[in-house]
Amino acid sequence: MLRITALVAMAAGLAAAEAPRKLPYVYTKWKHFTVAEGLPNDHIFAVKADGSRVWVGTENGLALIDSRTGKVRSWTEKDGLPWRVVTGIDIDPKTGDVWLALFGGGLARFSGGRFDHWHQLNSGLVNDVVYGVAVENDNVWAATTAGASRYNLRTGEWTIFTEKNAPMEEIWNYGVHYGDGKVHLAVWGSGVLEYDVATGRWKDYLDPDGEMEIDLYRDDGIIHVITTAAHYVEKTLWVSSYFGVCRYDGRNWRGFFNQDSGLPSDFNNNLKARSANEAWFATDKGVGAVVDVATNTWVAYTRDPKGKSGKAVVTRDKEVLETVEMETGIPHNYIIALDIQGSDVWVGTSKGLGWGVGEGYYPGLKERPPVVARERGDRP
Amino acid sequence: MKRFLFLLVLAAASRAGGDEIPAELKALIDPDTAEVLRRLDGISPYEVPDLKLRQDTNYANTAADVEPFGKVKPYKEHFLLQMEYTGPGRAAPEPPMDLKSVKIGFIGPLMSTVSVATGGRSHEEALGIKMLQGARLAIEEANARGGYLRRKIPFELLVTNDNGLWGSSGNEIVKMAYKDNVWAILGTIDSANSHIAIRVALKAELVMMNTGDTDPTFIETNIPWVMRAIGDDRQQSYLLMDYLVRKMNYKRIGIIRASNRYGRFGVREVKDSARRLGFPIVIEMAYRVGAGDYSLQLERMSAAKLDAVIHWGDAEDSAVILNQMRRMGMNQPYFASDRTVSPEFEKTAGAAAEGVMCGYPWNPDRRDARLEAFRAAFRKRFGSEAETYASHGYDGMNLLIWAVQVAGLNRARIRDILAYRSKPWPGVTGDIPFSAALDDLGEVFLARYEKGRWKYYSREELDIPRGYIPKRDRVSRGVVSAALPQ
Repeated sequence: MLRITALVAMAAGLAAAEAPRKLPYVYTKWKHFTVAEGLPNDHIFAVKADGSRVWVGTENGLALIDSRTGKVRSWTEKDGLPWRVVTGIDIDPKTGDVWLALFGGGLARFSGGRFDHWHQLNSGLVNDVVYGVAVENDNVWAATTAGASRYNLRTGEWTIFTEKNAPMEEIWNYGVHYGDGKVHLAVWGSGVLEYDVATGRWKDYLDPDGEMEIDLYRDDGIIHVITTAAHYVEKTLWVSSYFGVCRYDGRNWRGFFNQDSGLPSDFNNNLKARSANEAWFATDKGVGAVVDVATNTWVAYTRDPKGKSGKAVVTRDKEVLETVEMETGIPHNYIIALDIQGSDVWVGTSKGLGWGVGEGYYPGLKERPPVVARERGDRP
Repeated sequence: MKRFLFLLVLAAASRAGGDEIPAELKALIDPDTAEVLRRLDGISPYEVPDLKLRQDTNYANTAADVEPFGKVKPYKEHFLLQMEYTGPGRAAPEPPMDLKSVKIGFIGPLMSTVSVATGGRSHEEALGIKMLQGARLAIEEANARGGYLRRKIPFELLVTNDNGLWGSSGNEIVKMAYKDNVWAILGTIDSANSHIAIRVALKAELVMMNTGDTDPTFIETNIPWVMRAIGDDRQQSYLLMDYLVRKMNYKRIGIIRASNRYGRFGVREVKDSARRLGFPIVIEMAYRVGAGDYSLQLERMSAAKLDAVIHWGDAEDSAVILNQMRRMGMNQPYFASDRTVSPEFEKTAGAAAEGVMCGYPWNPDRRDARLEAFRAAFRKRFGSEAETYASHGYDGMNLLIWAVQVAGLNRARIRDILAYRSKPWPGVTGDIPFSAALDDLGEVFLARYEKGRWKYYSREELDIPRGYIPKRDRVSRGVVSAALPQ
């Protein structure tokens, strides 16, 4: 049945190829980085672009890719990295220092070739299991499994945020992001917390139905209190969870699920928002990018499990608009981390890092003829 | 023909693992499991095995009239389709042949400390130590049968304490995953620690088997690496509330509970069920664990003219509260969570214990040769009786040992063998059938203290009515309330 459906969709794509339609940009040029290319490990937990430099956090070390030359450098524990598992990376825009969230190892700063290390026994870091890190002005925020910590780089003061001084129903922080004057914490069991840097006030976003086993209405708020990431871009909040994803523009919420959009799966490990209109989601069944919210237009990128080839499927609601097949797809379908580097995108998977080169990238939709899908013998 | 295929699979599995499969191991592999192994063998890091996912038609056997927002068709219903693991872990190579032991992790409250997560002071060590003893016995018995059969090396239990400060359970799991290289973990009891632990297990891709945390939300996280082998507070609350409301027609029910996560989340289904059945909880009072004096809470509850009182907390608090109630002239029937079923409660409550009823995750009175053998072995090994945490710990560890034996030394395959198990696990606590959410959907019971001992009753034995359990998921059932059979 799946195969028949796919063939029908392909046939629809062929028919539509005759007339240009409003379609999004599709990344068709992918390069892979793995241990073979110099990464310390293939299990990618974090990726952060900084100009032409791309920092990569893996299950066993840190790496730096120069996207101009393709050269890769790496650091492991024997090189001074305080702990092997790097789960989050952020860059201080003032100093260029690299801040690392270490999974079970605390927080580290990589500066001038030296690693400095903070942990729960030598600092105000509330827990050593750090999932995410974000630099906000002169502060470094760490999302830990037992609350959030904020380290002021000017004063050296640490502030701990838990249920005692923030609206954290649970203290299990999962992700942290700074943008547009606000820090957002994605908290497992406590939705999303927003900290206004100017006022020092907190605001919480919880699932309005309050139930774990259902989402009562699609667009009534955060779809679940177990959240994995929150990004605030152009006054728009994007949220991912293991139950779907959602977006809040300050007035209206919108939920997206696999059943009603091009999101490949409701299990979302992470997200990266490019704008108020475009966000990329790291699912366990490929990458899903919503590229035009108003029309619910998505591009889903997957890899063929039998080979290196891949596919991008453009959908509007659940209608397949085009299927673009590629010789090289994303490295793996289990996606953990994402970042945007100008026109390019970086996709961290559990089996390698993918670099989507965005030659000719354009945001939103543009009139163009659909790509004609080749009919293949395998299942789409 | 089927048998021939089965034998072929066993032979292939033997070759694929590089280790000879001894006869004792073959005896552990039923035809369904052999088929799972066949589909796992030779899989590349990019493939997901073609295995049928569990699909439930109803979440947690919830009756239609206690479903949340029962008069509204929800946009989405979760936990009905089994979670998949789609990562590359199945293709990870087995460890070198010079491995000396097969480590399985244990995490639980073992040492006394001050834990913010558990309400300000440690109080669960007695439970954790029993759980550890049950798990340890399972390991020792497996070693007496030859250990890890493919390599004839022993299992080794790596024991950690989760009762430390500042979320130390997360640190412990990280250490077990990346330094000690355990193959699976059993634990914990306190739900705050459990949630911390399972988030780490998800990242590290490591099975976390729980046999002591009855918080329903533990499993409601959609993590494919987490499973539970004990009936949770949702199941126990459904039975308890069916008894109180549907059978006894109590209309004014009050709750007194511990001011910690166990108390807060434990009563959620009680409160929801009471409200949805038309008799909202009249009063809910929380207390500090181990407070000793509960008069403030009980005076308010007394003024509420209750038909029945429900307590959710530890055994000692439960007994002291009951005694204070009786001294104040509060003679309402007293119901409690499963932790009240303990010698500690009996000793402190004394005569007041008579007639107290509790939800309970299994029936310790059941006649079963395996249960009797386990109890005898436990008595011989530890010089004490195996209570509920020991019994469930034994079952959970045996499940893990079975999965490791069958799957080999690969964390993802161990997870698959458990997740795709087709039949309930025949535990000493009874059959353990997994739901799509990999939760224990086995039968739960009511315990009643009668003439100096606890007696355990099934729903049928007490003739407790139950609401209609629909056989279709809520989204496809339609807009109309699902209170009626459709």
